[in-house]
Amino acid sequence: MATEQVVVAPLLVALVTAILTLVVHRYVRVQKVVSALGGLAYVGAVAMLIQRVRSGAGSHGVEGVLTYQLSEWGAPFGITLVADDLSAFMLGLTAVVSLLALAFSIQYVDEAGQRVSYHPLYHFMLVGVTGSFLTADIFNLFVWFEVMLMSSYVLVVFYSGPQHTKAALQYVVLNLVGSAFMLLAIGGLYSTTGTLNMADLARRLADPASFGISLVPVLGLSAVLFVVFALKAGIVPFQWWVPAAYRAAPAPVSAMLAGVVKKVGIYAIIRLYFTVFANAAPMDLSLPGVVGESTLAFFGPVLFIMGAASIILGGVAAVNRDNVDDLLAYSSIGQVGFIVIALAFAAGGVVAGWEAPDPYGSVAVLGLAAALVYSLNHALAKAALFLASGAVYESVGSIEFDDLGGIAGRMPLLSTGFFVAALSLVGIPPLLGFFGKFLVFDAAVNAGSNLGIGLALLGAILTIAYVTRAWNRGFWGERSEAVEQATPQYGLFATVLVLAVVALGVGVAFDPVVDAAIDAANAALGTGDYIEAVGLEESLTSGGGGH
Amino acid sequence: MSYGDDTTVIARTVARITLPLVLVVAIALLFQGHNLPGGGFIAGVLTTAAFALVYIVFGMEYVQETIFGDEYEPAGSVAGPLVVDRYRTLFGVGLAIAAGTGLGAMAFGKPFLTHTDEVVKPSTEYVAWIPGADFIFGTLFEFHWATAFVFDIGVYFVVVGGLLAILAVVGGE
Repeated sequence: MATEQVVVAPLLVALVTAILTLVVHRYVRVQKVVSALGGLAYVGAVAMLIQRVRSGAGSHGVEGVLTYQLSEWGAPFGITLVADDLSAFMLGLTAVVSLLALAFSIQYVDEAGQRVSYHPLYHFMLVGVTGSFLTADIFNLFVWFEVMLMSSYVLVVFYSGPQHTKAALQYVVLNLVGSAFMLLAIGGLYSTTGTLNMADLARRLADPASFGISLVPVLGLSAVLFVVFALKAGIVPFQWWVPAAYRAAPAPVSAMLAGVVKKVGIYAIIRLYFTVFANAAPMDLSLPGVVGESTLAFFGPVLFIMGAASIILGGVAAVNRDNVDDLLAYSSIGQVGFIVIALAFAAGGVVAGWEAPDPYGSVAVLGLAAALVYSLNHALAKAALFLASGAVYESVGSIEFDDLGGIAGRMPLLSTGFFVAALSLVGIPPLLGFFGKFLVFDAAVNAGSNLGIGLALLGAILTIAYVTRAWNRGFWGERSEAVEQATPQYGLFATVLVLAVVALGVGVAFDPVVDAAIDAANAALGTGDYIEAVGLEESLTSGGGGH
Repeated sequence: MSYGDDTTVIARTVARITLPLVLVVAIALLFQGHNLPGGGFIAGVLTTAAFALVYIVFGMEYVQETIFGDEYEPAGSVAGPLVVDRYRTLFGVGLAIAAGTGLGAMAFGKPFLTHTDEVVKPSTEYVAWIPGADFIFGTLFEFHWATAFVFDIGVYFVVVGGLLAILAVVGGE
């Protein structure tokens, strides 16, 4: 079987770009060109990978799941990369947002910014994100998380003012503690189950007796790991680092953090809890509030409570913020809450020892698809809004609502972009946001959760409230002095507009997207295929792949 | 002007003697790293330790003016003294070498980061008349070539470049 180099291509493109931008760091213009070409090549590599996965290519006879053994060490001993529909969906989202945030950065970051390695860091962050989406090894996942975080630490403290340093310090300390917990949980899982490979882990958990595994500690360790992912995703009660970090970071970095890096946490929850831990054999859970015997029966209520709290806290807090970035930061806490309650509905649909459901019918698939579509919408819309906030700052010199007003008349292009992205966040048809919200409601109805429907409604109303307020204070009304004297940055406006148009285009041509999301949801739940595609070897000497 | 006026003769003499030793040990660790204890990381750290010694005993100016021939400027810019630029280039080149060994494997149709190795012994065909030729050429000159060694060199550059950049920036303040 030929090695599918396409699986590792996005990772390598980002890595090579990061290194090249580092090598040419003395030549400011050359670095910009290399960075831009790298961004385009990344999109190309991701497009090739998506095309390959969607056309049904696969490894070990499984359609649509491509695997790749780094260094030619066979699974489960070597590091496996897996590209299936779920990874492809997340990579597609990353490619779009990263390219436009990069286009924004190239115009926005000045020479001094380039001197402190903005471009290499940006691409290393992309390397970390891509690696997290592709890896099928939990320790390797930790490594990619670290690659991503290391770069984001520096990007958050980029402006190096007192408040930026404070925000970054908080962000660094919190994430270091998170990383320590993650390592602890992974070490614990390794000593309990004897493997780090996700496919092997899933296989062993399904048959704990013959591998001598006790499931209860595994559940506990998976809960520790869950806390870390919740921290990355910024879900209540781990949300408090979000506003300061997003406010401190440069606009394109905030766009990447909110649009893409948060989704890595969501992806990790989907991949590990729905693909791996859900495969565990039924266990006796006599915990309050837990109905059922599967791992997800335990995590379902947890996800629901955390999602609900995020929706309420994020929404309410966003309503009375004083500046655009704060509003957007709190809004993204609320929006991730929507994604998480969709996951909670999906978790409720997965019961212990279940069979793969029929593709469109089950609540599990619907909930996951809703979470994914909502993630895509949030990535596009929120990234567009953060870029718009950056463009306002560059043009007007402030993002405080007190200094703004009447931007709509002064800078119609930017306002159009902001307006469309904001509507997509609210969920107005035919924008993507409408389908995202619709699917979440659909999942809630199918899960029979009245409380869920109520929460989603409340969240939607809060979204309308704060988006309207941002629009009224910033874009309509009396034109403020600062806005009157603004120098419009049309290059920056273009990136906002393009992202907004993508959100509109994806909404209009929604069929392929919903198909991709449903396939991704099925891939997340198709543990059997995942295990088979990885092709586990029993010993190091049996030889696999190309030996 | 002479360098290191504010340190003692003892410190300067000890530094002169230990410096080559430290560097030789570092190189030895680098060369055996791919299949024995050692490797690019620890060799890089040792090399940096040697440089740190020079920094401490002879001062920042000495390294910059004598070794690199640059004008010394304590606070060059946001990114630190000028010499940091050199370290950052070293860092980038090291990363490029390390990633390059991984990419090289792909040119042969193997997965990223696949490595290979070979034990090379010089042929004793023409020197067989020398007593003990087999031992001298077959054993002493035997060398275990591994592509992982090239990767280690990359790691070595990354560690040296990265740590020296930190030393120079922090030291410059």
